[in-house]
Amino acid sequence: MRKQIIAGLILSAMLAAAEPAWADYRVVSPDEIDLGEMELENNSSSTYDHLPDRSNAQSYTAEFGTGLTPWWHSEIEFGWARAPGGGQANVLTQIVTENTFRLTNPGQYWADVGIYAEYGQTVARGKYAGANELTFGPAIAKDIGHTTTTVNLFLTRQFGPDQTNQGFDFSYAGQTRWNLWTPLSPGIEVYGDTGTLTHGNNFQNQQLLAGPVLLGRLRLSQIGLGNAGSLTYEAGYLHGLTDASPTNALRWRVDVEFPF
Amino acid sequence: MTTKTTTRLSLSTLIAVLAMAIATKSPAQAADLPVLQFRDHHFVPDHIDVPAGQKFTLQVQNLDATDDEFESNDLDREELVPAGKSITVYLGPLDPGTYHFFGDFHQDTAQGVLVAK
Repeated sequence: MRKQIIAGLILSAMLAAAEPAWADYRVVSPDEIDLGEMELENNSSSTYDHLPDRSNAQSYTAEFGTGLTPWWHSEIEFGWARAPGGGQANVLTQIVTENTFRLTNPGQYWADVGIYAEYGQTVARGKYAGANELTFGPAIAKDIGHTTTTVNLFLTRQFGPDQTNQGFDFSYAGQTRWNLWTPLSPGIEVYGDTGTLTHGNNFQNQQLLAGPVLLGRLRLSQIGLGNAGSLTYEAGYLHGLTDASPTNALRWRVDVEFPF
Repeated sequence: MTTKTTTRLSLSTLIAVLAMAIATKSPAQAADLPVLQFRDHHFVPDHIDVPAGQKFTLQVQNLDATDDEFESNDLDREELVPAGKSITVYLGPLDPGTYHFFGDFHQDTAQGVLVAK
């Protein structure tokens, strides 16, 4: 138990050391349930743009999750964000409940399918206030040879007095991982956001970023942190492919799981 | 490409994928595979030969008084096996080779391999 606490403190130290932010870039797996385990997760990103007013947007989360049933994974997330440009502050912007509902057993059918649903309640006030948000949609994963490909297709609806648009926003994400070596494997990923469905944005007005990612998983026993549980990490570079996208972005994720 | 076109393509793709996902039949049980058991935080047996190139199911039974988790990075599976219960793990098709698995809650003792041939 002591070593699990140490793992949690390491994660907390990472949270304290880095700039706080709210993460946009993450591919949800339909197979991650974590029944019988506690999960601590940090998901962060930082963007860069050749225009100073669009640069240095940051996001940062602290997430706590577990499997509530063999088919339902739930997390509570605290999200910090820094808006792009100069003179911006890092603020706690949202508290989010994230839920993944697994519809198929892994490997039983042609693809693994789940439904993702999250609700984000804004907690910032004044000039940092934002909309409450509901996001939902399918998460699909498939193994092909030595690769695993995961796709998310999500709709987001804003609510509340600070909403900036009406209707549903469509976003998508995909990742293909080459399962070469569990502690370190390469992948590629793409993130897109078409904007509000009712407005029909042309391609250059949509957000689209793609790039390489490194992923790995270690048993905590391999790194001297106990006899149970695992540490998973992702680190990626994304390049903007449209005028509306930042020039590039870095993203990273660390996830520690251990049994109750 | 406008948002509406992107959305139509995405929804069509989604419907096709979901239809394919649920239309595929479940794999048949390979008749002579032993039941994999958690016993005193060890796997019994700790070595199972399985057919390469075809899908199959593996029954995992936990005879211990505490939960454990069947996990394998090689097989990309992570499933809780509650104390006194059994689960079905869907696997394959596997290339010929050796695939390690472990009990995530007792990593020092619960280790095993599937050998696909």
